[in-house]
Amino acid sequence: MVKKEVIKNYDLKAAKNLLKMYIEQKHLQEVRNLPEDTIKIDDLNSKKTLERLYELNDSIIDKIYKNGRPSIELPSRASTNIIWDEENDLLLLGKQTMEKQFHSLTSVADITRLMRVLEVVNELLTEDIHATKREVFYTDVNLFGEQKASDKCIEDAATMLYTTRNSTHIVAAPKGTCVGRLRIRDRNDIIDLEGLGSGGWTISPMLDNIEIIESDAEFILVIEKDAAMMRLAEARFWRKHPCILITAQGVGNVAVRMFLKRLSKELSLPVFSLVDSDPYGHYIHSVYLRGSKRLSYESPFLATPNIKLLGVLTRDLDKYQIPQEVRIKMNKQDEKRTKDLLNEDFVKKNKKWEEDLKLALKQKVKAEIQAFASHGFKFLTDNYLPEKLSTGDWI
Amino acid sequence: MRLFQKKDGGIVQLIDKEKMQEWPIELPLIFIEYIRSKQLDSYGDVKKQIEQYLEEILKDVAIPRFISVLEGDNADEIILALKRIEEISKKNIEMAKPIKKYLENLKRNKNKTILDLAGKVEENFAKANRRKELEKKRKIMQQMEKEFLEGKISGEEYAKSRKDYLLLKE
Repeated sequence: MVKKEVIKNYDLKAAKNLLKMYIEQKHLQEVRNLPEDTIKIDDLNSKKTLERLYELNDSIIDKIYKNGRPSIELPSRASTNIIWDEENDLLLLGKQTMEKQFHSLTSVADITRLMRVLEVVNELLTEDIHATKREVFYTDVNLFGEQKASDKCIEDAATMLYTTRNSTHIVAAPKGTCVGRLRIRDRNDIIDLEGLGSGGWTISPMLDNIEIIESDAEFILVIEKDAAMMRLAEARFWRKHPCILITAQGVGNVAVRMFLKRLSKELSLPVFSLVDSDPYGHYIHSVYLRGSKRLSYESPFLATPNIKLLGVLTRDLDKYQIPQEVRIKMNKQDEKRTKDLLNEDFVKKNKKWEEDLKLALKQKVKAEIQAFASHGFKFLTDNYLPEKLSTGDWI
Repeated sequence: MRLFQKKDGGIVQLIDKEKMQEWPIELPLIFIEYIRSKQLDSYGDVKKQIEQYLEEILKDVAIPRFISVLEGDNADEIILALKRIEEISKKNIEMAKPIKKYLENLKRNKNKTILDLAGKVEENFAKANRRKELEKKRKIMQQMEKEFLEGKISGEEYAKSRKDYLLLKE
């Protein structure tokens, strides 16, 4: 006999209370002043970025006239120059700088590549068009050799101009998708993210063309995996529980993180993440939360410090009676990653998070979001998520 | 964003009208029309407040932006605006109504394209007006048919009204 499934009605009370609090404290959510010992960058429009580029050019020309030995000074992106700002919960770039000489044998190749990237930036901004990092690499394959080299120069160019990478009009290839109770404007088109089928809207890396125009969502859910996104999209989760769903298929790229940041900032909605119960899932959450080390100079524009880790928590595995056969034993690398996370200041500060990672290390198990399918395909959408959002069981 | 709070704790947020000042000229009208036709009915107890906000956008942003162009002397901009008004008037004449009185001045314009476009918009207004009258007349005719069959009005009276209706229909 088929077991009759009981569908409970959840009121999502805890999530609603959080929304209420955010609305009341809207003005308090703004990023406070950044520490004095960190660099400040701006998200600029094409005209202002071009102005900065010309100023930089002028300074190089001045140096040529002055002593014939031009150089460029840019903020160092070495790990020793990455600072965790406890107050804003952000990873930021310190004020250490490095100098690249035009006449030094060690940096001549590097500086030639950098100049080539600045030339591309100038062209993109003047024409008001965008290019992907891959396209930039293909503008001069012989010079760059491999894409890693052009990518590094792109990041150098953005830090030199003290602006976000998106402001240089060099973007990552589209990766994430978004669906749910949201309407946006892409230049002259109004796009309804509820009406695009289960596939949703591919998050455009050209975010300067995107504007949020309407939403009746009450929270945002960031999902690590496509499979889980598909489950929620097929269930039209946002119809029963007004929300916006985002997935980036792993770690969010710049466009996804920047778009999430804008949604969270402009709509003042609670943001939750749903990741695998493993150190990589927790790392993905941490990147959304306080930014990545590599792009620490952009953190104020990419990080969403109020994001909550909804699941899957290690403690959920017992609480929701996840069968032993769908739990996976941690390998050596998982253990090392968990220990690395436990050493991070932002984890140490968050006791609940620390406890859950310690529990994972003690039990030496991990599990994927899909493990809930062992209770039925609809368990995730009909029980797990609504219950967590109703009880406030998040980190 | 402009926030509207529902009694059940739900919310609706719409972009601030100030931000629309930077939009392409026709977009505020398209936005209003979009929200009215696709979203408004789902807004529950904040529907009225949002309707008022849309009126505000119309009055403070959408119309003034069109008017500033139509009353200016840049022919290219006027042509572009008129093309957009013509498209809007074809889709929903009500949206173009506030601009109607500014078309009068354009009739004296020497630019042929401007005159043609202004004429087309006027034609759309006339068509919409005819459709409205026809609808009104159709309802009257249905009533008269009923009364004629019941013997409450004469055949002559009915035939006269029927003739007027058919003429209007043509």
